[in-house]
Amino acid sequence: MASSDALYRSLVAVWRTLRSMRTALILLLVVAVASVFGSLVPQAPVAPGAVADLFVEHPLLARVYRAVGLFDVYGSWWFTLTYLLLLISLTSCLLPRTRLLIRGLRHRPQPIRDLAGLRHFAEAVVSEAPGTALARSRRILRRRRFRVADAAPGLAAEKGGAREWGSLLFHWSLFLLLIGVVVGKGFGFTGQATVVEGETWTEAHASYDFPPTEGRFFTEPMHRAFQLNVLDFDAAYRSTGLPRDFVSRVRVTRSDGDPGGVREIRVNHPLSVEGVKVYQQGYGWAPVVQVRHRGRLVVSEPVVFVTGDPNDQRIPWRGVIKLPSLRPQIGLELRLFPDPVAGVQGAPMLEARNPFLAYTAWRGDLRLDAAQSVFRLDTSELEPFADGGLGLGETRELPGGVEITFEALREYTQFLVKRDPGTWIMLAAAGLIVAGLLPALYSSRRRVWVRAVPADGEGTLLQIGGFALQRPAAFEEEFVEITGELGTVGASWRSTR
Amino acid sequence: VEVDALTRFSNLAFGVTLALYLGAAVAFFHHLAFHRGRVLVAARVLTAAGLAAHLASVVSRGLAADRVPWGNMYEYVSVVSLLLVALFLALERRWRIDTSGGFVLGVAVAAMGAATLIYVPPGPLVPALNSYWLRIHVVMAMLGSALFTLGFVLTVLYLWQDRRERRSASAAVQARRPAMVAAGGDHAGDHLPAEESEVAGPPLPEGRLPAAATLDRLAYRTIVFAFPIWTLAVIFGAIWAEEAWGRYWGWDPKEVWSFVTWVVFAGYLHARATVGWRGRRAAVLAVIGFLALVFNLVVVNTVIAGLHSYAT
Repeated sequence: MASSDALYRSLVAVWRTLRSMRTALILLLVVAVASVFGSLVPQAPVAPGAVADLFVEHPLLARVYRAVGLFDVYGSWWFTLTYLLLLISLTSCLLPRTRLLIRGLRHRPQPIRDLAGLRHFAEAVVSEAPGTALARSRRILRRRRFRVADAAPGLAAEKGGAREWGSLLFHWSLFLLLIGVVVGKGFGFTGQATVVEGETWTEAHASYDFPPTEGRFFTEPMHRAFQLNVLDFDAAYRSTGLPRDFVSRVRVTRSDGDPGGVREIRVNHPLSVEGVKVYQQGYGWAPVVQVRHRGRLVVSEPVVFVTGDPNDQRIPWRGVIKLPSLRPQIGLELRLFPDPVAGVQGAPMLEARNPFLAYTAWRGDLRLDAAQSVFRLDTSELEPFADGGLGLGETRELPGGVEITFEALREYTQFLVKRDPGTWIMLAAAGLIVAGLLPALYSSRRRVWVRAVPADGEGTLLQIGGFALQRPAAFEEEFVEITGELGTVGASWRSTR
Repeated sequence: VEVDALTRFSNLAFGVTLALYLGAAVAFFHHLAFHRGRVLVAARVLTAAGLAAHLASVVSRGLAADRVPWGNMYEYVSVVSLLLVALFLALERRWRIDTSGGFVLGVAVAAMGAATLIYVPPGPLVPALNSYWLRIHVVMAMLGSALFTLGFVLTVLYLWQDRRERRSASAAVQARRPAMVAAGGDHAGDHLPAEESEVAGPPLPEGRLPAAATLDRLAYRTIVFAFPIWTLAVIFGAIWAEEAWGRYWGWDPKEVWSFVTWVVFAGYLHARATVGWRGRRAAVLAVIGFLALVFNLVVVNTVIAGLHSYAT
């Protein structure tokens, strides 16, 4: 009994600590410091290569980083813990404030007794009757958009409630932001698709380059099955060799078979089809290579080539053809020089001019029983037996009855394909955050009381007092204006501070 | 040929701007030290002339490149400096911060001097930058940066002035004790003995810079104005990222540091409402926030690889 009581008391203590602004402030700064680590240490989800490099160059440091979780800061338990604590702290601040605000909706501004004790105070004798003076005061305060309530023998008024509303709206919207992230991650997917010019790609789980990242609540039927027929891809360059634009022209066929027309996908201009967005992400060369073995057609298809450095078009593109059906098995290592003349001069090979395909042929065992990249040969059980090169339309015969033909040169385009149903929530949350932020920062709460009692001689003793919780300097001017408006009927004001 | 002429004109105007700002900074410092009305007028005229040359430099740069003139780091720093000086010129009379002009202009001169180190000739945009969001997102970022920078200068002056006031107050207390016995009271800080005024900091006459409380209030007003603008810059950046890269947030270094800047200034705003954090501690947060802003511009652009590497 005693221990549960102690537990309860310590829980209350923890709750109280979380409720304090000081705790929220410190947690906020911890989140900031933690985020910094993620920008200084390479992050495995975005830059796995850099992480691997660090293990080679500084193995001890890398192991320390891994042990502390610095290679995936934003997915680490301690980062999650910090922002969860921040959210709990935020909740514990917001709940009582929200309750107070809602209760305050029904409450009217409260009267007080001693106006003269307020920070701003003024009084005057006016010639009107008390009722008339009050009615006039009410009009003046209402015109200044105060909330006015009767507080006999006077009025109680307040203004600037938007500050608290805005502050609460701002802070609660941060949670909406979180909901948006969860919905987007849970019900969305992200994948990458490589499509050669002329080919048609269907939006389905199996047609991505590698299995798409799908959310926890995402199910197979949520793929849309629309089709994109890539008509052509165009990489436009300026005379300086800098890229100008990357454009894929696609013919869209919607999932119900309706034609969606011919559309362009370019950088900064994604295509949106049936709630799925398609982004221009990459491109490259895809030579069409035909291989015959003793006169029999073995393969004739475009081969996707990759580059070692997308920013350096002076180096040749690399591709691989694996022919496991032949005995012995044959692998072709290919290097494409889209513009050999430019290449020889050390200039970037931006466009295809007399493209040239260099090859190295290997034979033996391709070792396809083990997992391997489609862009690389495992040469451990292979031996090279021929090398050479061929221009567009040319054929070369290799020893062993293998004939290769460089039939055509096409380009391929690479799309980032994505569905994120959370973006609208994010957008709404962002709008609410700004909508809440402005009054939270710029509006100021102030209260004014008016009191009208019969004066000793004749007329009414009109008193006004008030204070501002924020921006006192601005309120001082406002207060002077109000007293000016109230005292127009031949009064002399006496102010105290 | 026309592009070359515009480029040369823009560079010339940039140099003229730098010289005028430098002159203005010297004049403002002279005004701070000796309080001469004519020097203040000269400082204002030099600043306004510098601003005109600066505007000419930025506009001709945009014409030469045939696009908005904030497509790389050199141009970005130039426009932020322009906004900073324009803001100061617009506010200095109303806020009576003419004595701090030397510091503001000094920051502008330092930033523009550093920008010459990363000068690149005007050129077209890479495809990823070619979007109308370049206008909206980057304008917000530049405006927010200029305001935060002004807030930083005012905050540092506040910290400096606050220290001076504290020192002279404690010096006054020490000075008054024997004085009160002798002469029956003295006004704080009015006639300090020579050795006490050395304790009180650099030999600047009292009252030239605004009072610490005033500087603190003005710094707050600047930052409280900058914060929603920075918030919008981050939001618009996220919308653009969604449009260009297919995700609104990817913890790219630029995103991380703009978030850190936002969080630190959010901390500053909260600190001002927290007992024990008001005043100097909050001011330190504003300084840290500004350092994060500078880090985001300088180190993230040039050292850390990321999607925002548009330094050249």
